[in-house]
Amino acid sequence: MNISGIAIAVVLATFPSAIPIWLAALGETVDQASGVLDLGVEGIMLMGAIAAFVVDYFYHSALIAFIVAGLVGLAFSAVHAFISITLNGDQVVSGTALWFIGWGLSGVIYAAYFGLAITPPSVPTIGSINIPVLTSLPIVGKVLFGESPLFYISILITIALWSIMFRTQFGLNLRSVGENPLVAEVMGVSPVIYRYVSVLFGGFMAGLAGAYLTVGLTGSFYFDMTAGMGFIAVALVYFGKWNPWRVSVGAVIFGLVYALSAELESIYTSVPYQFFSMWPYIATLLIILAVGKSAHAPDALTMPYVRE
Amino acid sequence: MNYIKGIQIVFFIIIGLLVSSLSFLMFHISPLNGLASLIDSGFGSSIALLETLKVTTPLLIMAVGLSVPFTAKFWNIGGQGQLIIGEIAATATGLALSPYLPPPLVITASMGAAFVGGAAWAMPPTIMKIKFGANEIITTLMMNFVAVYLLDYLLIGPMEGSQAKLVHAPASNPIPASDMLPKLVSTVGLSAGIIIALALAGLFYFILNYTNFGYELRVIGESRNAAKYAGIKADRRILESMAISGGIAGIAGMVLVFGTTQILIPQFFSDISTAYGYVGIPVALIASLNPLAIIASSFFLAGILNGAYIMEALYSVPIDVVITIYGTIMLFSMIGVIGDVFKALRRWIK
Repeated sequence: MNISGIAIAVVLATFPSAIPIWLAALGETVDQASGVLDLGVEGIMLMGAIAAFVVDYFYHSALIAFIVAGLVGLAFSAVHAFISITLNGDQVVSGTALWFIGWGLSGVIYAAYFGLAITPPSVPTIGSINIPVLTSLPIVGKVLFGESPLFYISILITIALWSIMFRTQFGLNLRSVGENPLVAEVMGVSPVIYRYVSVLFGGFMAGLAGAYLTVGLTGSFYFDMTAGMGFIAVALVYFGKWNPWRVSVGAVIFGLVYALSAELESIYTSVPYQFFSMWPYIATLLIILAVGKSAHAPDALTMPYVRE
Repeated sequence: MNYIKGIQIVFFIIIGLLVSSLSFLMFHISPLNGLASLIDSGFGSSIALLETLKVTTPLLIMAVGLSVPFTAKFWNIGGQGQLIIGEIAATATGLALSPYLPPPLVITASMGAAFVGGAAWAMPPTIMKIKFGANEIITTLMMNFVAVYLLDYLLIGPMEGSQAKLVHAPASNPIPASDMLPKLVSTVGLSAGIIIALALAGLFYFILNYTNFGYELRVIGESRNAAKYAGIKADRRILESMAISGGIAGIAGMVLVFGTTQILIPQFFSDISTAYGYVGIPVALIASLNPLAIIASSFFLAGILNGAYIMEALYSVPIDVVITIYGTIMLFSMIGVIGDVFKALRRWIK
């Protein structure tokens, strides 16, 4: 394959690889901006993935599959919200517990419906939306105007979130809750309500991200198929400095890393595949290193708000 | 107060167990029957108890190691990677030295190599945290994936065993039987590793509760600011605690190879049965990071893991159920740790 062929293959695979991390990271951005760290994303994504897969398999509706996955994510994050906001529990422990529950339960649900079959059943993936005329543009046409619906949804959510977080009173309140909940409360902004809304939104987005993995991308469910994507999404929030735009850029960079390592793996078969497979994880470490100390987290991140 | 808290935690653990047993319903097994069968398979006979002790060994070592940085609220999620590197270092050292040295020296050298390997693997995330404030949960976890692929590569590359090459199943050469840890009960293969595990638990109970080091870790965990005003070198203590934690995780890996498996095989992230680094997290947390309580919690969770194997064979309930159970127990034990849970609830309702 020539260089331009490789480049086109990589570019075409970039957005599909980016979308799950992108959606999850956008949700986590809001989560963290309000001062709650949700490490359960990985588990919630897995729950979204299995929920969407089961719904689509039995009811043949991708739309309902996505909605159900989002709601399952929301329900899961409600547990995290209750423990970390209402009970003032440790957010790290609670998030880790949710990660474990989602990790195990997704596999259990899969086995309950489909047994421990060797060949996994599959559902048709949702395909892509081709915007007429624009799709036929050279090079960028297919990449920008022939993507999965979730690509356009991700962009819309990015714009919406940025506008809400940085251009509305609601967004200002939300961020003030993440920086200093005591001051926010004195100003008449309820940290509890803002944090609940943020965590539930984050869960919903993680559920969608998981649904995209099964119904949108692969058409199948595999045990622990996220393989760390949820945590990479959390890392991207740091990279994006709690700004939806920067988070989106990070997600696309990651899509590129995934696409590139998959493509190179298929070209350089003489190099052991493990060295390509470990790339996204090393890239995450490098990205965190690159952000360095410049990432200023919301002051009250992971701090429970205890009213005196 | 401590006892009351202990009872409260145990109470919530039982609730967690009951809640998670609802997942048996998906397999048309009544939750209580499923739970009874799980516990019976893990603890119900002397063979089951010995098998459970075998699983307890690496789990106990791992959780004791994790409890050290956890005390300072430094979340080392990278136990699995550190364990894998420990396994690699121990196996390579053992195989290299075996022809030249007597078994006690081979075992000692392998254990030392495992400690150094695990500690070294824990260093990049720790330094990234200290120098750049990078979230250690993410960085330690990423190191796990790198370790998984590194092991996978070594077993089809430089460390591939001659027998494994013939059958095309990635594995290392076996550790010579004479260099294995001595067996306490040869029928089920329970090794002397359990003694190492118990000794480590005792040692770290002392260190965390009765030394300056342990006290300083607790102050750091309570409040970074308080530690600063008390003149505690927090960064230095964190670095030490992570070197210890990674090193002990490495020893857990060494004990796994030299006590049980004898060969090194790939460990994929999705394979829960070898994921001691992850399972160690709930073991340490539900014991409130107290090494003596960890002895009990590791035995308890090892029994559940052991029982889950049998559940998989009997009722095709996948082994994943065990991770759900751990997660739920962790969640509820945490509610037990939050001392004033009822107060918090009342305030919420009001």
